[in-house]
Amino acid sequence: MHILKRHWSKVIFNSLLIIWTLFPIYWLLSLAVRSQTELTGQLSLWPRSFSLEHFSALMAGGQFGQSIVNSLQVTLLSTSFALVLGLCSAYILARLQFRFALRGLLLVWSFLVRVLPPIAFAMPLYILMNRAGLLSTLAPLTLTHILMNLPFIIWFMIAFFQRFPIELTESARMDGASEGRTFWSVVLPVTAPGIAAVGILSFMTSWNEYLYAVIFVQSPSDFTIPLALATFNSEQELAKWGQLAAGGVISALPVILFVCFAQRFLIQGLSGGAVKE
Amino acid sequence: MKRVFKATLMASLLPLVLTGCTGGTSVSSETVAQAEQTTAELADQSTAEAGGAPTAATTTAAASTTTDATTRAAQTAAADQEAATLTIIARGGSHVDVINAVKDKFEQENNVTIEVLGLESDELKQKISLDAANATGSYDLAMADDPWMPEFAEAGIFRNLTEMGYEADSDFVQQSLDIGRNPYGTGDLYALPFAGNVQFFFYNKELLSSLQAEVPTDWAAVLDIAKAAKAAGQVGYVIRGQQGNPVVSDYLPILWSYGGDVFDADWNVTVDSEAGQASLNFYLELLANGANYEKNDIVAAVSDGSAAMSLGWPSWYISDQGASAAYAVIPGKADADSTEYASGMIGNWMMGVTANSQQPELALKFLEYVTSAEAQKTGAEVGGVPTRTSVLSDPELLAKYPYFQTLLTATQNSVVRPRTSKWSEIETAYGTELSNAVAGTKTVDQALADAKTAIEKIMQ
Amino acid sequence: MKQEKRATAFAYSMALPALVVLAGLSVYPLLYILLYSFTDYTLLAREAPAWVGGANYAEILQDPYFQQALLNTVKFAFGAVLLETGLGLLMALQVIRMKSGQQLLRTLLLLPTLLPGVTVALTWQIMFSNNNGILNQLLAWLQLPAVNWLQDPGTAFYAILAIDVWQYAPFAFLLIYAALQTVPASQYEAACLDGAGNWDQFRYITLPNIQPALLLTALLRTIDSFRLFDKVNILTRGGPANTTATITQYIYQNGVRSLKIGYGGAASVIMTVLVLLLSLVYIRKSFTAAGRRG
Repeated sequence: MHILKRHWSKVIFNSLLIIWTLFPIYWLLSLAVRSQTELTGQLSLWPRSFSLEHFSALMAGGQFGQSIVNSLQVTLLSTSFALVLGLCSAYILARLQFRFALRGLLLVWSFLVRVLPPIAFAMPLYILMNRAGLLSTLAPLTLTHILMNLPFIIWFMIAFFQRFPIELTESARMDGASEGRTFWSVVLPVTAPGIAAVGILSFMTSWNEYLYAVIFVQSPSDFTIPLALATFNSEQELAKWGQLAAGGVISALPVILFVCFAQRFLIQGLSGGAVKE
Repeated sequence: MKRVFKATLMASLLPLVLTGCTGGTSVSSETVAQAEQTTAELADQSTAEAGGAPTAATTTAAASTTTDATTRAAQTAAADQEAATLTIIARGGSHVDVINAVKDKFEQENNVTIEVLGLESDELKQKISLDAANATGSYDLAMADDPWMPEFAEAGIFRNLTEMGYEADSDFVQQSLDIGRNPYGTGDLYALPFAGNVQFFFYNKELLSSLQAEVPTDWAAVLDIAKAAKAAGQVGYVIRGQQGNPVVSDYLPILWSYGGDVFDADWNVTVDSEAGQASLNFYLELLANGANYEKNDIVAAVSDGSAAMSLGWPSWYISDQGASAAYAVIPGKADADSTEYASGMIGNWMMGVTANSQQPELALKFLEYVTSAEAQKTGAEVGGVPTRTSVLSDPELLAKYPYFQTLLTATQNSVVRPRTSKWSEIETAYGTELSNAVAGTKTVDQALADAKTAIEKIMQ
Repeated sequence: MKQEKRATAFAYSMALPALVVLAGLSVYPLLYILLYSFTDYTLLAREAPAWVGGANYAEILQDPYFQQALLNTVKFAFGAVLLETGLGLLMALQVIRMKSGQQLLRTLLLLPTLLPGVTVALTWQIMFSNNNGILNQLLAWLQLPAVNWLQDPGTAFYAILAIDVWQYAPFAFLLIYAALQTVPASQYEAACLDGAGNWDQFRYITLPNIQPALLLTALLRTIDSFRLFDKVNILTRGGPANTTATITQYIYQNGVRSLKIGYGGAASVIMTVLVLLLSLVYIRKSFTAAGRRG
C-alpha cells in the first residue's frame, strides 16, 4: 500500500513536470504550423489547420539560412575557444599545489566579468572593437561570446576539478606521465559530465545571445538567428507569431542535435560506478 | 579500449581541446601561440577588409564579391570601377520590405547596391548614435522615429538637406514634412517623411451598427457606445495600458482632446492641469467599460467584433476581406459641445542622410527616389504608409486601401509630441505614472502629481 | 626541483591565456564604465563630458524608481534561485534514477533552455493573452474569471517569474545532474550495506557530494536573474505600476535608451557592487564547505 502510494505520487510528479515543461513547447510548435488566418482568431487546443507557410515565408530570400550559418560559426568557434581556455585555467585554479601567482586575480576577475551587466558592457566594447577595426567581421561577436562564457566555465569546472580524487593524478605521475598527459587522459575523461554540461549551456547561451549581436552587426548578411527573429516583434507592427514560432523551431534544431551529441559525455566518468538507489 | 573510444568522441566534440591538451606542457603553450595567431589573422584580415589596405581589399573584392565588408572596402577604394554600395540603417519589418521592393530600379539606373540593415527601434537609435562619432560613417542613410528628431538635430546626426540644394516638395503632407525641419516646422530640412504613421480611431463596423451607433466624433459619445457594448456583453473600449510608450501614446489623444498637454508654451509641466485630471479620469472610465489589452490582442478583438473601439496605427491594418474593423479620425473634443482640438498623434518615420556619409549626393538621390510618389505607390503594396497627398488620394490605391483617405485627414489633424531632446526620458517617467493610475496603485491626483515632479526633474 | 619548475611552467601556460583574453576584453570597458560614471556623459551631447563626482550615484540611490526596481530584482532573484535550483534538483534526482529513457527525458527537459529569448517571451505572451489566451480559456472552462496576467499588478511579477523558472530550471537541472554523475557509487554501496534509507543516503552522501555544484548553480542563477531584462522588456516594460521593473531594465531605460552613458554606468556599478556583496555570502559558504571537507 505504502509502496503503491509512493509510486503514484512519483507518476503524478513526473507527469506534471512533463506537462509543465512541454506544454509551452507544444504551443510553440502548434503556432508554427497553424495557418495565418487561424492565428488571428481564438486558438483552440488542437490546431484546426496545418500549413508550412510560415516556414516557407521565413526561408524565402535565403537570409534566414545565412543567419543560421553565421550563428553556427560564431557559436562553434566561441564555445570551443571558451572551453579550451576555461578548462585549462579552471584546472590550475582548482589544484592548489600548482604555483600560480595570479590565481586570486583570475578568480576575482572572471567573477567580476560575469557580474557586470552586459547592457552596460556592450557600448564600450563596441568602441573598443570599432577602434581595433574589427567591426564588419564576426570576430567581435565571437570574442564577446568567449568573454561571456569563459567565467561560467571556469567557475563551474573548478567545482568539478576540486572534487577529482588527487590519488588518481598522483598515481599517473608515478607512472611517469607529464602534467599535460595526466590532465588530458586522466582528469578530463572523469570530469566529462561536467564538461558536457557546461559545453551544452555555453553553446546555447551563445546561440541565443542577442544584446552583443545587435550592437556589433553592421550588415544584414552578418545577422545571427536572434537578430533575424527580433524584427518579427515590434511595437508598431503586429507580431508575426507564425514566423517567430517557425524560426524558434528551426533555430532549436541545431542545438538539439548538439545536445544529443554532447549528452554521451553526461554519463558517468571512468572512476566511479553508476549511481544506485 | 573504452577509454580510447571516449577520447575519440571527445576529440570530435572539442577539436581545440585536442590540440590544446594532448601532449603536455609544450603543446599547451603551442595552443596559446596558435590561438593568438588565429586572432591575429582575424584581426589582419578584417583590417584589410575595413579598407586599411586598398589594394589588398580590391583583390579580395574581386575574389569574393559576396562578403559585403569587402564590397564596402572596395567602394571606398575603387568606387570608380566597382558598383558603389549605399547602406541604409532602418527599422526592421515592413519598412525594410518597402525599401527592398523599390530599390531594384534605383540600383540599375545608378550602378549601386543598396543594403538595408533592419533593426528594432531602440537598437536602431543606439547604433545610429554610436556610429555618428566615427569620421567615416558605416551608414549613408538612417531612419529616425519622429520624437528622436530634436535629439538628432541637436547632435548633428543628419546632413542639412536644404544646404545640399534640396527644395521642399509641397506634395508631402505639411505636418509630416514639418517633423523633418529643425527648428520644427520653420527651419531647414534634415530628414524626409518615409512612413506616414498617424494614430487612428479603430472600431468594429458590425458591432457599432448592431448597437445602432454612428462613428463617434466626441469622447462622451465613445463612452456611451462603450457602455452600450458592455451591456450587450461585449468589450466596449480597449485601452493599450502597458507601461511606457503604449500607455502614453494611448492616453495623449484624450488629453489633447480635453485641451490639455504635457507642457504649456513656456515649457512648464502641465500634466496635472484640470484637463489632465479630467482626461485621465475619463480614460479610467473607458477602461471600466472595456479592457486593457496588448496591441496584438487589440487588433484581434476589434477585428473579430468581441471589442468595439480602440486607438490604432495604420501598420496594424488587416487587409483581410472578412475583418470588419475600420479606421476613422480620432475624436477631438470632450463632448458634443466642447471645443474641438487636433488629437491624433503623429508618429512618422523619417529618413535622412547621415552627416558622416562618404557619398551624400548619391544618398540624397536615393532619399528623393524612395520618398517619390512612384516609389511610395509601389511600397504601399507591401505595407508602406505613404506621406504624399498625391499618393494618399490616388484613386487606384484608394480602391484597394480605402483608409488612405482617413490617413490624409488624420495627418492634417495630427499633433506632434513635445519637441524636446529629452522625450524618451519623459515618456519613461510619464508612462510609469500613467500605469500606476491604470493599475489603481495610485490615485489620479497622486499619479499626475508624481509625473509632474519626475518630468520637472528631467527638464532641469 | 626540476619537476616543480616544470609544473609551474605548465600552470602558467594553462591559466594565462584565459586571463589574457578576459583582461584584454574587459579592462577597457570596465575603466570606461567606472570613469564615465563620475561624469554627465551623454552619447549625443556636443559638449565634452563634465566631472560630476558622485552626483549620479546619489541621484540613483535617491530615485524611488530605482529603489522599486532594486526591491523587485532582489525579490525576483530570491524566488527564481530557490524555485529553479529546487526544481532542478528534483528533476535531476528523478531522471538519474530512471532505468530507461534517460536520454530522451534529458533532451526534452532541456528544450525550454534551448529556445531563443524572443520566441520564448512571445510564446508565453500568446498563452497569457487577456483576449482568449489558452490560460484564460482554461480558467473559463473551470468556470473561473479571466485574469489579465501580464497587466494586473497582482500577477505580472509572478507571470514573469514563472516564465523564468520554466526557462532556467532545466539549466539548474543539467548542472546538478552532471554533478550527480560524479558521486562515487561505492559510497552508496557502503550505505546500502549499513542499511541507510533513501533519505539518509540523500542527506549524507548525495548532498555533501553535490553541494559545491548546488551552491554554484544557485550563485550563477543569482547573478543571471539580477540581469533579468529581455522578458520584461518584451512583455511588460517594467509595468504595470513598475511591479516588474528590474535594475537592468532601469539601466536600459535611463542609460541606454536615452544614451546617458554616465548615469547608466553609475547604475551598472551599483548593481555590480550589490551582486558582489550578495555573492560573498555564497562564496564564503562554499569555501568553508570545501575547507571542512578537506
